[in-house]
Formats: sequence, C-alpha cells, structure tokens
Amino acid sequence: MPGTEQVEQILAEALAAVNAASSLSDLDAIDVKYLARKGAITSVLKSLKDLPLEERKAVGAAANSARIKLEETISAAKSRFQQAGIISTFDPTLPGIARRIGAIHPITRVIDSMCETFRGMGFTIAKGPDIETDYYNFEALNFPPDHPARDMQDTFYLENGLLLRTHTTPVQVRELEKSKPPVKIITPGRTYRNEAISTRSYCVFHQVDGFLVDEGVTMGDLKGVLVAFCRDFYGEGLKLRFRPSFFPFTEPSAEVDISCFLCGGKGCQLCKYEGWLEILGCGMIDPNVLKNVGYDSEKYTGFAFGIGVERTAMLKYRINDIRLFYENDIRFIRQFK
Amino acid sequence: MQLPYGWIKELVDINWAPEELASRLTLCGTAATASKFIETGFDKIIVGEIAELEEIKGSNHLKRAVVNTGDKMVPVVCGAPNAAQGQKVVLAQVGAVLAGGLEIKKMTLCGVESYGMICSERELGLTDDHSGIMVLPDDAPLSQPAGEFLGVDDYILKFDLTPNRPDSLSAVGVARDVACLAGQKIKRPEYNIVESSYKCSEAVKISIADPQACPRYAARVIKGVKIGQSPWWIKAKLLMCGIRPISNVVDITNLVMLELGHPLHAFDYRQFGNREVLVRRAENGEKFTALDGNEHILTPEGLLITDGEKGVAAAGVMGGLHSEVSENTTDILLESAFFNSITIRKSRIKLGMTSESSVRFEKGADPNMVPEALNRAASLIQKYAGGDILQGIVDCYPKEINPLMVDLRPDRCNKILGIRISSERIKEILNNLEFPISRINDSSLTVAVPTFRPDITREIDLIEEIARIEGYDKIPTSNRNIGPLFTSIRDDDRLRQEIRRALTAQGLDEIYGSGIADPKMLSRVAPDLAQVKIINPIAEDLSVLQNTVFYSMLRAVSHNFAQRNLDIRIFEMGKAFHPQKNSAPAEIEQVGLVLSGRTNDQWFAKGREHDFYGLKGAIEALSETLRFLPPTYIPATHPIMNEGESYDIKIGDKVAGLAGQVKQEMARLFDVKQSIFAAVLDFEVLLRNRSNEPSYEPLPRYPAAPRDIAIVVDEAVKVGDIIELIKETGGPLLERVELFDLYRGKQIGEGRKSLAFAFTYRSNERSLESAEVAELHNKIGQMLKEHFKSEVREG
Repeated sequence: MPGTEQVEQILAEALAAVNAASSLSDLDAIDVKYLARKGAITSVLKSLKDLPLEERKAVGAAANSARIKLEETISAAKSRFQQAGIISTFDPTLPGIARRIGAIHPITRVIDSMCETFRGMGFTIAKGPDIETDYYNFEALNFPPDHPARDMQDTFYLENGLLLRTHTTPVQVRELEKSKPPVKIITPGRTYRNEAISTRSYCVFHQVDGFLVDEGVTMGDLKGVLVAFCRDFYGEGLKLRFRPSFFPFTEPSAEVDISCFLCGGKGCQLCKYEGWLEILGCGMIDPNVLKNVGYDSEKYTGFAFGIGVERTAMLKYRINDIRLFYENDIRFIRQFK
Repeated sequence: MQLPYGWIKELVDINWAPEELASRLTLCGTAATASKFIETGFDKIIVGEIAELEEIKGSNHLKRAVVNTGDKMVPVVCGAPNAAQGQKVVLAQVGAVLAGGLEIKKMTLCGVESYGMICSERELGLTDDHSGIMVLPDDAPLSQPAGEFLGVDDYILKFDLTPNRPDSLSAVGVARDVACLAGQKIKRPEYNIVESSYKCSEAVKISIADPQACPRYAARVIKGVKIGQSPWWIKAKLLMCGIRPISNVVDITNLVMLELGHPLHAFDYRQFGNREVLVRRAENGEKFTALDGNEHILTPEGLLITDGEKGVAAAGVMGGLHSEVSENTTDILLESAFFNSITIRKSRIKLGMTSESSVRFEKGADPNMVPEALNRAASLIQKYAGGDILQGIVDCYPKEINPLMVDLRPDRCNKILGIRISSERIKEILNNLEFPISRINDSSLTVAVPTFRPDITREIDLIEEIARIEGYDKIPTSNRNIGPLFTSIRDDDRLRQEIRRALTAQGLDEIYGSGIADPKMLSRVAPDLAQVKIINPIAEDLSVLQNTVFYSMLRAVSHNFAQRNLDIRIFEMGKAFHPQKNSAPAEIEQVGLVLSGRTNDQWFAKGREHDFYGLKGAIEALSETLRFLPPTYIPATHPIMNEGESYDIKIGDKVAGLAGQVKQEMARLFDVKQSIFAAVLDFEVLLRNRSNEPSYEPLPRYPAAPRDIAIVVDEAVKVGDIIELIKETGGPLLERVELFDLYRGKQIGEGRKSLAFAFTYRSNERSLESAEVAELHNKIGQMLKEHFKSEVREG
C-alpha cells in the first residue's frame, strides 16, 4: 500500500526526470509515466479508496499536491523548450492581419487642413460654380476689358460668353453681393488655366482664397491673419516676407514668402538657393471691387488672399511634378494615408 | 527685361552690391535677381595683338599666330578665316574657362604647339556669332582683361515685372526707384544737338487721322548718316540687355528705348517720297509686310504708319520690310510717338506678334517723353553715324496730356495700412518718386501724377506707392482679426468628409480627375449625354468638360493598369457638366466608385477577384455611415455596363445613381484587360436623404433565441426575395436574419444552390417560449418550401 513517503519518492523521481528531459517528447513520456490514466501518481490516487480514512486523507492530499506540482513543472519545462525555439508555430514577425485603409488624396488633405486653420480664425467656407461669367471672373474684380492684366490668367472659354474660372475670387464677389459686413470667408475650390502642361503647371488646379470686409480693416490685420495661418500650417519659427506685387483686385498688393522650412533660409534646392518660398498672393481689396458689389469703400475696407493648393502640397511634401496629382497612380496616392 | 548692374550705377550713386540691390528692388515691388552676365568670368582672357600669322603646312585652314600680350609673345593655332596680322583680338590663355565651360590647355595641332585660343563672340558667350574671331578696335590696350575692356564683366539684373508698372521698363525707371530707396536724385542721360539750318518741317508733314489711337507723333529727319557698326560700349549694353546689335542707327533706337523706356523707330527717309507721314487705321483687307518678312492681312483694329498711301509700319508693334534702315540708307526719319495702349494691344494680338516696343506701349508709355527720347537718340546718331539733324522737331500732338491731379489724405493712408507714417515722410516719398505736390491743406495733398505713371489714377494707388517705398515690413502685424466669429461646418462639407471616411475605411483610395476630357472617348463613355465644349482648348483631346465622373475614373484605371497596379479600388468626388438650354451648364457633383482586378494573396488568405458584391458592400458602408435608407438595385440599361449586370441605385423612391460591371469593350477602349465594377452616386441626392444624427434604440432586455435554416433552391431564386419573404413571415419577433453560407456542389445537383440563414428571434417585452419560437420558425420553413419549391433543413 502506498504511503506519503512513497508519494514523495515518486514525485522526486519524476521531477528528476523532468530535469533530465532534453525534448518535448521526453516530457510527454514523463507525463504518460506519472500522470496518464495508468501513470504512477494516478495509480496512487486510484488506490486511495482501499486505505483507511485517516491515511486516505493524508496520502490523497500528498498525491494531489504531487500531481499539481508535477503538472506545473512539466508545463513550465515545455514552455521553456518552446521558447528555446525547439518547436513552435508562433512567429510574431509574420505581418499583422489588418484591413487595408484607403488614402485621402493630397489635395483634399491640404484643403481640409487649410480650411481647419481658417475656420479656427472665424472664416466661413463658401463655394461657387466652376463655370463663370466674364463679369464675376474679371470685370467685377477690376480687370478692365483689353487690359494686359488679363494675360496673367490664360482663360478657357466656353460657349455663350462663359468661361472656366481662373481663380476662386469670383466667389468673393458673389458672397459680398449677398452679405452685410463683417464678412469673413474662405473659398476653396477648383480653378482652370489655359497653360501648357508641364511639371510646374497644369490646366486644372485648386485655390483657397479668403477675404475679410469690415469697418477699419487694415493691411496690418491682413498681416496678422497670414502670420497666424503660416504658424499653424507650416509651423512655428518661420519668418514671413511681404513683397509688393500686383493683382487687379487688390491695392496695395503683396506676395508672401516664408523663410525656407527645409534649410531655415540658408539656401537649398527647394528654395532655389534664395532662402525664401513664395506661398501666396494677397492685398487690400481694391475700392473698385467694393463699389462693384455696392459697398461704401470709404466706410468699409477689406483684405483678400489666395493660396495655391497644389503649389503648397508640392512644397510641403516636396513633390516635383504637378501632373502626379491628376495622374492618380495609386502608388502616389497611397503615400498620403 | 534685363539690365546690367553697371548701367544703374551710372544713373544713381549707390554702393549696394548687385544682390543687395536686387533684394531691395524686390521688396519695393520691382522684382529682380542678380547674376553674372558671363558666369564663367574673364579670368586669363586678355586683349592681345596678332604679331605674326603663317600657314601651317599640311593643314588647309589652320594657321600659326603669335599673339603679343604686351609682355610676352604667345604662339596659338587659329583656324578663323578673318584672322589677320595686326588685329587686336581676345586671347584666352592656358587655364582660362570659356563660356561653354571649355578649359584652355596647352595643345599640339598638326605638330604646332598652341598656348591659348583667339576667341569668337560665341566662345566668349556674347552672341551666337562664330563666323570668325572677334576683332577689337585698334586702340584696345594690350594685356587689359578682356571683360573689363569690353565692359561685359558685370552683373545682370533680371526683372520679373508686374503688368501695372510700365515706368520700370527702363534703366531710368529702375534707377528712379533705386534713387528713391537711397534718398538720392538720378543723373539723367544728357544730350547735345547741333541742328542744320534746313527746317525739318519742310522735309516732312505729319498728320494723325485717329488721335484717340495715336495722341502724339513726332519725328526728326537726319540726312547724310553713315550706317555701320555701333561703338563697342553700345553693343555691350545691348548684349547685356539680351538684345542683338544690328547697326549703329538701329542700335541707338534700342539703346534709348532701354534707357528711357520710350520706343523709337528709324525709317529710311527715302520711303517718304511725298514728304508725308499719315497715321491711320488699316483698311479691311489691307496688306502689310512686316520686318520679319510675313505678310499680314489687316483689319481696322490695326493702326498703320503710312507715307500718305501705303503702310510703312504697324504702329508701335513692328516696322515694315521695305522701310527699314539698310546699309545703303543715308537719310533717316526718326519716329518718337505715343500710341494708346488698348489700340496696341488689339493690334499686336491681331498680328500675332509682340516686340519690345509693343510691350512698352501696351503697358503704357509716357506721351511727354516723346521729345526727350527723340533728342537723345538724334544726338547719339549724329555722334556715331554722322549726318545733319534738320532744324526742329515736327510734333503732332493735338491734345496735350497733362498730369492727373489726385488727392491723398495721409490719414486715410494710415487707416488702410494700419501704420503711422508722418505727412512729412509721405511728402518726401512722393517727391523722390517725382510726383509733384501741387496743393497742401489740413487733411489732404493734391498730387500731380506724372504721365509716366498711367497706372496711378486714384488715392488708393498713391497709398500703394507710399507702402511699397516705406516697405511692407514696416507695417505692424495686428492680431485683432485672428480671433473667431462663430463658424460652423457646412452640411455639404460634413457629408464630403463622411463619404471620404466611409470609403477609405472600405479600402478605397481617393483620386482627382482633371474634369477635362477627350470628346471622342467621352462620347463612347456617355453616348446619351451632351458635352460642354471649350472654345480654345490646349489640345483636341482636352477640349470638353466631362459629363460623368466615370470618364476620369476609367482614365485612372487605365493609368494604373498600364503601371501594373492591378488591385484598383478608387473613388472620386468630382463634377459632371451638363449643357442646359437656356442657362449656364449644370454642375453636378458625383461620387464615383471603382473596383478592378484582384486583391493580392496574403499569408493567411488567398486574394480574391473584385466583384459586384465588393462594390455593393462599399455602398452599404456608405449608407450605414451616412444613415440613408439601404439602397435598392433596379435592373436598368446603361450603355457602358454589361447587359444584365447594370442597375439603377435607388434610395427610397429616388434614383441616386447607377452601378454595374463595365462592358469589356469599354475597358478595352481604355486599354484595361481586367474586369471593372463601377458605380456613380449623385451627391445632392445623398445630401437630401442622409440623416445627420444617429438614432438610439434601447438595448434588448430579454434573451435572444437563435435558430438556423438551410434550404436548397434553384439558381434562379434570388436571395433578396427569400429574405424578404422570411422577414414578412417572421414579423416583429424576428429580430434579424442573415445569410451565412452559400454552397453549390454535386451533392445538391446541377442548377441548384444551398443557402443557410441564421435567425435571431426576440421580443422586447418578454422572454420567448421555445414552443412559440418553434412554431414561428416552422411557419417560415413551410412558407419557404411552398414559395421556392425548396428542400428545408431546420436547425
């Protein structure tokens, strides 16, 4: 009849065997020898019913704890072997199983990001048609007929005197016509220019234009808004430069350069060794434009600006060919997830 | 336009380096960059004299020259046909680098050692002339660096001027801005004229038939000139301005134009046999042969300079072929005129040509510059081409153009700019810009705007002048307006964002089409839709606006297929343009979806062919995210889709778009050799049918009773019909039914399919008894048996 000593002896023997085991199959054999249906410890447990009550309790407890101890030891030894890579199907370096997420086009990305910045400054979004009249695209914006300024914007003409808008500034006129000051709006959208297609120019592009009209708006306010935009959009620590320029619908007019964010203004390929990157055009809304929409230009003043989306995306992501935006190669688009 | 840096320094006394000058000009609105005229420079390139010249035996054109550089004699092999002993020439010594990048090395040619090269103008980078070596004047000093002697070792300022600034199209104009920035006055070019006693007015009579188009026409006549080469300093200036020297008289008219900004024209006086100049509109169909040899058929849009009868020049644009100054010319008529800018613009567009002259007139020349430009040119012609200048100018100027008076309120200036500039400073700036102030009172100045600034007509224009000279950097940045008014996101923009979110989550990539299409291809894609034409397209295959986003989607598939990007899942939110009878074309925003090809094999799953169900799934995801009613698919005929695989998509009772498998021939048209599944949805319909907010339903409080049914039916039976019947029969206690298996195989026989559905029964009021679930479930099984002649296995 087995006693507690015998149980301890079996356990010691089994633990020694586990210690000596050199493979998973050794461990499986130990498992069979001691813990399976006819195993040594199992036999002890099966024989308990033949023992007197007191002894049964003691031996039973000893056998049970021996069984648990041995199971744990074997299991620990098995996982040691597995971790040692002796046999395993688990490979954490296999690619993860994921659902593919589609990519947002970089133009959407840039427009959304600009709109978010300007919405934070209290600009509302307005939109207008791609197909415009000469009045909204040019005349109301102070482009006199037969003025050389019209050559700045090569235009696609449609039938019946219509045209494809060359900028989103017509929306400025449309919105001012139906609003009362203060008006603070941005107008993202698609524009068209009849230019030869090359790496730097395409017949279609996007703009985010914006304007503010109210009493007492100054050029200093324009600078304030654009400095805030550039900080938010391009990051802190950039310098801004306002250069005099010419647009028929603003007077005074300016181009805005930022210090090159790649080289910090020291000069590099991105900024063509000039240290500055031209990012947008702007100015104080010409009194003629305000008069055309029925505003008293003595009482109200305003500013306007226009940002090229593709140009911005090209600078920001250092894309060297504008045609990539419209070629829609998914290897290109998928970089902008 | 480009000007040498040295020319500006002749006119204003500044010590700014070229780059600094360019940067200061840029910041005052006269955008400029500075660079070396000859990038390689003139190191080791000097003046020499050919001391000896002899043939080389065994060569039919090479000669051995010995060049005297003052301190040494340099043997050089030279092949130029015009080389001659005693000529002063430009010698590139060993180590020099020529304009094309060629470095001069010691060489041996036909057995003769050569220690340099006698240069042509092209080798120096001056002109394209390579017909022979450049021959210098006899007084060129030996050993002087050639760049210095030629006056071309200088920086060039290249300008990128805005259309509103005609005044800056000249050296004097640029110098005026420079002087203003430096607080100085410019030194204007001087002239000195010696006139003969013969009156010019007897040599020519001028009349203007259209004084609106030509407000002023003046001329001088110079007799007995000798046409020849210009002196080198004139040639050098022209070359550095990018203009090719031609002959002394023509060069001088160009020089004065670059100097003062006023275009001039020299005619051969013999052309004016009847001593008359008449400026008039061309007649319809009148012919005119321009200097470039092309014959133009004119309309009254064109303005002609005539000899009283026939045209001798297209006014302000280009001279006539037969009236040009030539080698044989001895007497010239020198024109200095002022033409209306719109007239010149229309005329040059009609003629299809631009010139340095038309550019200046079109932007706006100065009518009161006419005599100065004429006199300056006449004096230079007399000096360098000889001749007698007849007495006086014949000047036809019917109505004098005077400076415009514009009031400027300094306070208004400060209010617009958001700055405090003192009235004193404003006056100083105006004075430096040569804008006389004619009257001053408490709150405003009256400014006489000089006629060289036709762009300035209003107070705001003067304010811009003040701002650009003071510097935009002086305007303090104000943060008053960066704070928000209340803004909210527009419904349509929110929908666009949600559509993008739903479709990218389904693995679709967003594309942007140009919207401009090839009319032939477009009419294949949408044969039943009219097209919006572009009147002046870039090319025939980019000459209409697309009338469906299918077009740009198919183009994108085509590009990707060609690039072997075969797993194509894309969407686009773009416009379709539809012509309307009595209004501007309609702009219809569409959402296009395309699946094409197959997904890649993965280690855990095989790839699968894209199919209609994937497309439908993406649209289902859209309907869930946007919360519109689940779309239904109604069989319909669409020309681009396969018959039998072509559907209208309906939301409620509204047609929201279409979907299907694109016909193979259509795919082939776009060079795509894999199946394409496509759908297009109308954005407006989505906008009207979506619901902004999710609606909440309480979570169930009672347990669900799950059951299954498997049925075998004929292939012709549609799953949608089965589900509809199940739902109808199940009533409110049937919470959900889903198809979880579809099987075809031998065991069930040809033309049959096995479908397995999972049912969830639940009541919101009580726990269901298993007996009532069994009863309802059996009833459904019975209905299916009867309706679809199916074998049913319940579970």
